[in-house]
Amino acid sequence: MSTDTLTIPASPRQEFALGVVHALPVVAGAVPFGFLLGSLAAKAGLSPLDMGLMSGLVFAGSSQFVAVELWGKGTAGLAVVGAILLVNLRHLLMGATLAPRLRGVSAPRAGAALFFMTDEVWALALRRGEGLAFAYWYGVGVTLYLAWLGSTVAGTLAGALIADPAAWGLDFTFIAVFLCLLAGFWRGVRSLPPWLASAAAALTVHTLSPGGPWHILAGAVAGGAVAAWQGRGRVRYEP
Amino acid sequence: MSPEALELDWSVLAVVLGGALATWLTRVGGPWLIARVRLGPAANAALEATPGAVLVALVAPAALSRPSDALAAALVCLIARRVPMAVAVAVGVVAVVLLRRLL
Repeated sequence: MSTDTLTIPASPRQEFALGVVHALPVVAGAVPFGFLLGSLAAKAGLSPLDMGLMSGLVFAGSSQFVAVELWGKGTAGLAVVGAILLVNLRHLLMGATLAPRLRGVSAPRAGAALFFMTDEVWALALRRGEGLAFAYWYGVGVTLYLAWLGSTVAGTLAGALIADPAAWGLDFTFIAVFLCLLAGFWRGVRSLPPWLASAAAALTVHTLSPGGPWHILAGAVAGGAVAAWQGRGRVRYEP
Repeated sequence: MSPEALELDWSVLAVVLGGALATWLTRVGGPWLIARVRLGPAANAALEATPGAVLVALVAPAALSRPSDALAAALVCLIARRVPMAVAVAVGVVAVVLLRRLL
């Protein structure tokens, strides 16, 4: 879009509107995704209010899928929180790249803005150029937030109407969704060794203690260790 | 809206609040941390690889539990980066239903 290269200082209102416009293609992708999450959450026993609170307060798609799947299996609450934390650790790296743009911004203002930092908001804001235009940031962030909240709650309301999911192969939905999310984290061949290490560790631990959440931690640690070994010498975060 | 729609499970609320706090800390932690700690390339790479590793660990036992599911999972991996997610998921579900009958 030609507006991406606009250098004339725009008013906050124009910046906000531009953020909303730039968020629309992302919304188109996020709404079916949110609807699917909501319908799976209904099957895991979450009410629309539960789902609304989760989307409204956590606001992080991949980790919410993980949380709903684990919750449906009866995993302990603390383990679910731990899994959410692990999936969202990448935010640390994304946020670190924003540090130069947040210099001089007060802590409450930065803390509020960063609540809206999802992969997409972050990527669009970086593309927007120097400095962090707060109005643009909120234009993208609030649009995605409302779309996410609305679509996940709508999905939960609709999901409660569908009867037995396993009969339709819908128990495979989670596997398919996680594989699609995984594809989004593919960074070329170098992603393969950590993933294979994670699979091996997870399968081993899962065989020893089926049903427990420990295979997830084992996979995360094994994958992280292999990536750390690979990463010696590389310098920057390349999303 | 039915009364059930507004049902609130307190154990769910506890997980949501814990998950919300943990997630917000990962969001504000980046700029805070970078000003204080210099992350080496190895730590950087480990953090970057964590979400993928978590997803692999989550999916591996279920995806490899039976040949039909493993084949359908492989199919989803092949198309995941080429088609929209809703399509990839639908193809995977249809494939698993057929494969479970065949295998």
